[in-house]
Amino acid sequence: MAEEVKPTKVIDARGSFCPGPLMELIKGYKQAKVGDVISLYSSDNGTKVDAPAWIKKSGNELIGVYDRDGYVEIVLKKVR
Amino acid sequence: MYSQKRALILGDGAAGTILANKLRFLTNKNELEIVVIGNSKKHYFKPDGVQIPFGLLDYRKSVKNSEFLFNAGVKYIQDEVVRIDVDQRFVTVKSGKSYSYDYLAIATGDRLTPEDVPGYEGEAKHFYNLQAALSLKEDLAKFNGGDIVIGQASPEIQCPPAPYEFTFLLDHYFRKRGIRNKINIHYTYPLNRVFTMPQVAVFVDKLFQERGIITHTMFNVETVDPKNKVVNSLEGESVKYDMLILVPPHRGQKVITDSGLAGESGYIDVDRHKLNYGKYDDVFVIGDATNLPVSKAGAAAHFQSGYLSHHIASEVGGAVYEDDYNGECACYTITGVNEAISLWFSYEKNAKANFKSKLDYIFKWTSADTYFSGMVRGIM
Ligand SMILES: Cc1cc2nc3c(=O)[nH]c(=O)nc-3n(C[C@H](O)[C@H](O)[C@H](O)COP(=O)(O)OP(=O)(O)OC[C@H]3O[C@@H](n4cnc5c(N)ncnc54)[C@H](O)[C@@H]3O)c2cc1C
Repeated sequence: MAEEVKPTKVIDARGSFCPGPLMELIKGYKQAKVGDVISLYSSDNGTKVDAPAWIKKSGNELIGVYDRDGYVEIVLKKVR
Repeated sequence: MYSQKRALILGDGAAGTILANKLRFLTNKNELEIVVIGNSKKHYFKPDGVQIPFGLLDYRKSVKNSEFLFNAGVKYIQDEVVRIDVDQRFVTVKSGKSYSYDYLAIATGDRLTPEDVPGYEGEAKHFYNLQAALSLKEDLAKFNGGDIVIGQASPEIQCPPAPYEFTFLLDHYFRKRGIRNKINIHYTYPLNRVFTMPQVAVFVDKLFQERGIITHTMFNVETVDPKNKVVNSLEGESVKYDMLILVPPHRGQKVITDSGLAGESGYIDVDRHKLNYGKYDDVFVIGDATNLPVSKAGAAAHFQSGYLSHHIASEVGGAVYEDDYNGECACYTITGVNEAISLWFSYEKNAKANFKSKLDYIFKWTSADTYFSGMVRGIM
């Protein structure tokens, strides 16, 4: 559960169409350190598919995808 | 009796110049002194950098002396800001002077940091400043066949559509030279589609397919290997090239990080609707210097300057400005010679691309003229 893993960094991309939540995530990921837990908030439903796909392809760890009140939270751990 | 206040604007690019000139129209000199500090000497209209490498525009019409672009009543100081102290409310410049302010607007844009990607320097080419665009023109003229890779070296860049615009013109350029069949054009993009806005991505991807452009998505550049002539992604893919055209990574200005206003990225977190920095209601940030989730675009800087000029002018006049900035941005993007699409979006509204037109191309092609004669002057 996300509640148990305290994110090192929260990226609030709610209400953002350009550059968009996934771009915000990659940007934040690049600035983070290996071992950091990053939490992404997005109000765009597409992120539910896009973000896990990218996390998998980039060899990072998807901790969870959670439906919150009016937005989705995606939590990942930077492992490389 | 008036007590004159001072608006200090840092940066003499698109955002700083438009803000100063708009603010001058909205306030009188007795109530507000407007001071701009910038270190640019020449004001270059960067969007033309997409067309200059193909000889489609004469670069001389894309450049003006910065000092001539300010309206009467704006004080312009050519110097470099070396320290910003928002607690003590002053700014220091390289020549040693300090300036206090009642309102501070930071509009220092961002900078290119090719050193952030191992192997980039001395190998990759780009078109993100005038010098690079002119030198790319010579390199392209000498290129007669092989693989060209075009992409961006970091997720965040100025003008997100510029790499796809450039790719379309690259295709056109080699067709015109009659050697398109000898060249593979590879386009890389950080996301799992060819552009960040999903609906626009579908439109652009269709045109890419029609024109035989090879796409590599989910490709975030990690390193360039000049010896083996490959570019590697953090997702583990490698693409071979004979010519590599990569938009360099960007960061905010060093003075921003040195002054403690942002971390290593150099981009300042601001309130998305009021554009002020942190708890400070007298410090604002506009244009590419912000960490806002909007495109780093002159068009966004234009909307932000419009909002902020009214906000400051209202306060100077003793009123509260209730309106909010809503992330709005509108721009024309090229999909070939004689064709372009217009995009309009905000925080809440996703852009759509439904058709391309010659009229949109003409707007784009003449945009330096509109920019210098109307937009920068604060008239539009
Ligand atoms: C190839 C290319 C194509 C583009 N196409 C488009 C387009 O089609 N549409 C669009 O809307 N946008 C486009 N853009 C983006 C647009 O040019 C920028 O977003 C815009 O210039 C941002 O304005 P700004 O004032 O924030 O930054 P800038 O215009 O970069 O200005 C920053 C200014 O601050 C000054 N400065 C920096 N540091 C200091 C300091 N320490 N002291 C004093 N002065 C300082 C600099 O000299 C500069 O003049 C494009 C950009 C590129 C590179």
